[in-house]
Amino acid sequence: MRASPQAGVQTARRAEGLGARLPPLLVAAQRVAATVAQGVHGRRRVGQGDSFWQYRPFVPGDARSRIDSRASAKTDRAYVRETEWEAAQTVYLWRDASPSMDWRSGAAVPWKRERADLLVLALASLLLRGGERVRLLGGPPRLRGGGTALEALAQALAEMPDSGGLPPDAPLPRFARVVIVGDLLSPLPAIREAVARLAATPVQGHLLQVLDPAEALLPYAGRVRFQGTEAERDQLVQRVEGIRTGYADALAAQLHGLNALATAAGWGFSTHRTDHAPEAALLGLYVALSEARR
Amino acid sequence: MIFAAPWLLLALLALPALWWLLRVTPPSPRTQLFPAIRLLEGLRAAERTSSRTPPWLLLLRMLAAGLVVIGLAGPVLNAAGRLPGTGPVLLVIDDGWAAAPAWAVRMEAASRVLDQAAREARPVRLLTTAPSEAGQAPTLGPAAPSPELRARLAALRPKPWLPDLEAAAGALRGVSAGAVVHIADGVAAPSDGGFQRALAAAGPVQRRSPDPLQARTLRTPRSESERLVARVETLPQPVDTPVAVLAQTGDGRTLARAEAIIAAGTTSAEIPISLPQELRNQLARLALDGPPSAAGTWLLDERWRRRPVGLLAPEDGADTPLIGPLYYVRRALAATAELRDGTLETLLTRPLSVLVMVDGTLDGTAAAQVGKWVEEGGLLLRFAGPRLAAATGEGGADKLLPVRLLAGDRQLGGALSWSKPAALAPFTAASPFTGLAVPAEVLVQRQVLAEPGATLAARSWATLEDGTPLVTAAPLGAGRVVLVHVTANADWSNLPLSGLFVDMLRRVVELSAGVAGAAPDALLAPAELLDGFGVIGRPPPAAVGLEATELATPIVTPMHPPGLYGPESGRRALNLGAALPPLAAAAPAPGATLLPLGDDAQERSLGPALLAAAIALLAIDLLLSLWLRGLLRPAAAALLLFALPVYAAEPSPALETRLAYVVTGDATVDGVSRAGLQGLSAYVNRRTAAALGEPMAVTPGQDDLAFYPLLYWPVLASAEPDGRATGALNAYIRAGGIILVDTRGSGSGDGFAPGAEAALRRVSAGLDVPPLAPLNGDHVLARSFYLLQDFPGRFAGGPIWVQRDQDRSNDSVSPVIIGGHDWAAAWATDAQGRNPYATVPGGARQRVLAYRFGVNLVMYALTGNYKGDQVHVPAILERLGQ
Repeated sequence: MRASPQAGVQTARRAEGLGARLPPLLVAAQRVAATVAQGVHGRRRVGQGDSFWQYRPFVPGDARSRIDSRASAKTDRAYVRETEWEAAQTVYLWRDASPSMDWRSGAAVPWKRERADLLVLALASLLLRGGERVRLLGGPPRLRGGGTALEALAQALAEMPDSGGLPPDAPLPRFARVVIVGDLLSPLPAIREAVARLAATPVQGHLLQVLDPAEALLPYAGRVRFQGTEAERDQLVQRVEGIRTGYADALAAQLHGLNALATAAGWGFSTHRTDHAPEAALLGLYVALSEARR
Repeated sequence: MIFAAPWLLLALLALPALWWLLRVTPPSPRTQLFPAIRLLEGLRAAERTSSRTPPWLLLLRMLAAGLVVIGLAGPVLNAAGRLPGTGPVLLVIDDGWAAAPAWAVRMEAASRVLDQAAREARPVRLLTTAPSEAGQAPTLGPAAPSPELRARLAALRPKPWLPDLEAAAGALRGVSAGAVVHIADGVAAPSDGGFQRALAAAGPVQRRSPDPLQARTLRTPRSESERLVARVETLPQPVDTPVAVLAQTGDGRTLARAEAIIAAGTTSAEIPISLPQELRNQLARLALDGPPSAAGTWLLDERWRRRPVGLLAPEDGADTPLIGPLYYVRRALAATAELRDGTLETLLTRPLSVLVMVDGTLDGTAAAQVGKWVEEGGLLLRFAGPRLAAATGEGGADKLLPVRLLAGDRQLGGALSWSKPAALAPFTAASPFTGLAVPAEVLVQRQVLAEPGATLAARSWATLEDGTPLVTAAPLGAGRVVLVHVTANADWSNLPLSGLFVDMLRRVVELSAGVAGAAPDALLAPAELLDGFGVIGRPPPAAVGLEATELATPIVTPMHPPGLYGPESGRRALNLGAALPPLAAAAPAPGATLLPLGDDAQERSLGPALLAAAIALLAIDLLLSLWLRGLLRPAAAALLLFALPVYAAEPSPALETRLAYVVTGDATVDGVSRAGLQGLSAYVNRRTAAALGEPMAVTPGQDDLAFYPLLYWPVLASAEPDGRATGALNAYIRAGGIILVDTRGSGSGDGFAPGAEAALRRVSAGLDVPPLAPLNGDHVLARSFYLLQDFPGRFAGGPIWVQRDQDRSNDSVSPVIIGGHDWAAAWATDAQGRNPYATVPGGARQRVLAYRFGVNLVMYALTGNYKGDQVHVPAILERLGQ
């Protein structure tokens, strides 16, 4: 890709700004990932790889060449040596870049985008440690060189364009994994369509909904004029206390719908609130990702 | 309570409409950014409660609106009511001499009249009854709205002369006004009746005058032997009224204070002031204690002090030691009187109080000259002797003798006589010698005898034990002739050898009339004149010279204000009290309403307070509205709350170097201390590299004194020792602090701080005061910044005490400096940067020296003995050079 000199300068400048911001994020992501990595050992899966996984009795149908003579010689039964699955897989990560993610209800909780970035990068860190390939959905096909892969990923993440709150329609290799991180507050049909399009590739994936506690609880009171972040119409609510139950129902319906459409596509679904610890969400995400491969 | 703009109250009718408007207008919603807004669509609450303003908020706003309306309507509490009538108001203010004592109250009353007129939107015409300083007769001012007159009112001052009521009545001719308010001094003046009729003709008269009337004046004092009798005259008083007279020197010190009581119904009192002759000669004025005024000030000029005594020598050798006839007289009077020698002609060319003539007679032209001089007020003091005795024997009638003398003389206790030398009888109460002790050893051997007569006893000032007169005196014209019946040397008696002789001669001289230096027909230029408050100042522009003869019948006018006239060497006083007619109360104008001057309660406008309350309520409403809308951040609320009342935080003493003063509990003294240290700090900051902060008030024993390099401690007469305070001060001294103790009265004479030194002894009993020595020019304190020789404050002169021995442990710094010069008052500045307290004896130089002493003191406190060591620098440099 040839860039004009001016664009190059701009990119460099942007990268400088990012560089100033990224290390803390990367460090946080590495720290979160390290916490999770201690809890999950190995792939615990049989597959191609170098490291020993287990011996199992020979069953008819196994190739004879797979019989491990040293283990079989100790007893009168034949054993097959299995190695741990080490096949590298491409995991496509996507984080919602819409304005609705640039919001938080108070100084005590992080921005939604910040939390989503942290989760994405921590997951990427875990995956990279496990030898997987990590790409950004809708991002550059190949991460730029220089620095570690994680740093390149972080830069690409920061430069990711807004695609309207939903994953873009990008060509994916078959059997790749997709992780969608966002607030997933778009209308359910639109989400269903996007997920169905990806699942038809076919790819498997996981939806992670990141919500601010205020979005989950609607803690306001009195007469409030609500303004949207993405050019929605203003809503004047005379008495917020009166609609809190209704809002909780609407949110539950949205979650239920998300869960249903994820299940229908064979995907996983989980939610995360920004006032909770990111480790729990990451662990859940990671385990779900591992289990989905079975 | 009245309203200045009652029609504005109609706006209260709009309050119900406001109520309705406020009720239907819901509070503005708060705006909230919310990403999940899509989920809110279609949600509707069952109830819409908060869309209306809560009732308590409604009440709050209605209250604020009501307060605004009422406040703008201008309610006035204790309003003086309406002025009578309609149309322009005529404000007549007496500003003659009698207005000075209650001047502030008068001005307040006048200002109140202007307030009333302003409320009723009536123009005011102002008339003052005394001629102006420029000598212009009273004229009626043009009708002007009240605010324009305030400046004129503020510029008014009482005048030290009589009002010109005739001209004032002329100014009122043909004038008619809706109301006439006369702020009267209540003292009758010439043509009072015509003026009052003119007032009544102009309109309905309101007469406001102080109750009771306060006019007082000092009349010509009388000089008696050993005392000066001040005479006070007032208007008839309903009750016994105490009056006090202060005898003051030219530099403002009060030497004596004497009191008397004017009995109810009477108008005058005599107040004797007893002072030794030496002190009496320092007196420059008598002043009535109380509100200052020109009439209550009596200036004493040279006539009250100088008593030139002419010694007429009969022959050569009159001064021969021990036997000369003038030898004893000269030695008795030399200390207190100005003595002149010469022949009769030379002596009488200059003013003379007393002429002393020893043994001899006067004949022909000499007798005529002396007789004329005595009749003009001189005092002739004669002594008997052989020649006088011989002259009487010839039967010649010497006119200049108080009594007729028998021929010859009488000898007592001679060698051929059975009689013994006679002693003196005690002096009678009528004698000017009364009170003098008669020594038993004074004996008379020989004397001339007076012819017995009906008046002899009255004319005898001193007699012998057998009743024969020793000293006789008789008035002659305005003067007096005194004869001592023995010789002025020790030939006839040993009286001249005794101390009694000295006292007697002095008393006789004190009885004489003083003289002033100037020739009788000289023109005396105005030098230092009194204003209406009795304060001496520069002559006003209209003042012109005065002929000395006019002083005999003084008339005080704008051309001749009271004060001192003439050259520096011979000042003559023109006193207002001498020029005033007898005091009488003025009759009010016919049909006048009589009102007291300052009795009614202070008028208070409630409008500003109500508006302030409304603003406070609206501020609270703003906070509440913000809170209802959820926009109220705690920090912003705190900011708003603190922005309304701004309190000056007490400065932390440790953050800056600052001086401190000990709180005495007397608000005036503490105020002076504070202002003084502020003035000194400003001066030090301006002149030196030291940077001092705002001074602090400290209470030893409660506040930590460790932060202050210098503590100023004014000691009141009422100060009592306090164990905790003494302990704290001892700790302060031990830690190297310096205390400047000020008894605030040294060198001021009586009356400023009596008893402060006794109080200092009392409170410093437990203090670790080292041995002290007077401060001199060699001390470091005299050289630490400026080179000083004396250390004045408000007063000058008295000694200042510092530690006698150098104490190396405390850096050779004296822990206490004790004086009484009232330094804080000299240093004090007010908000305009002026010095509110005059220095005594005065002058800009003394103020500068006081500040310099302050700077030295601060430097001494800040640098210790560093400046003391600086004096060795030249020597050290010299040694280094070798």
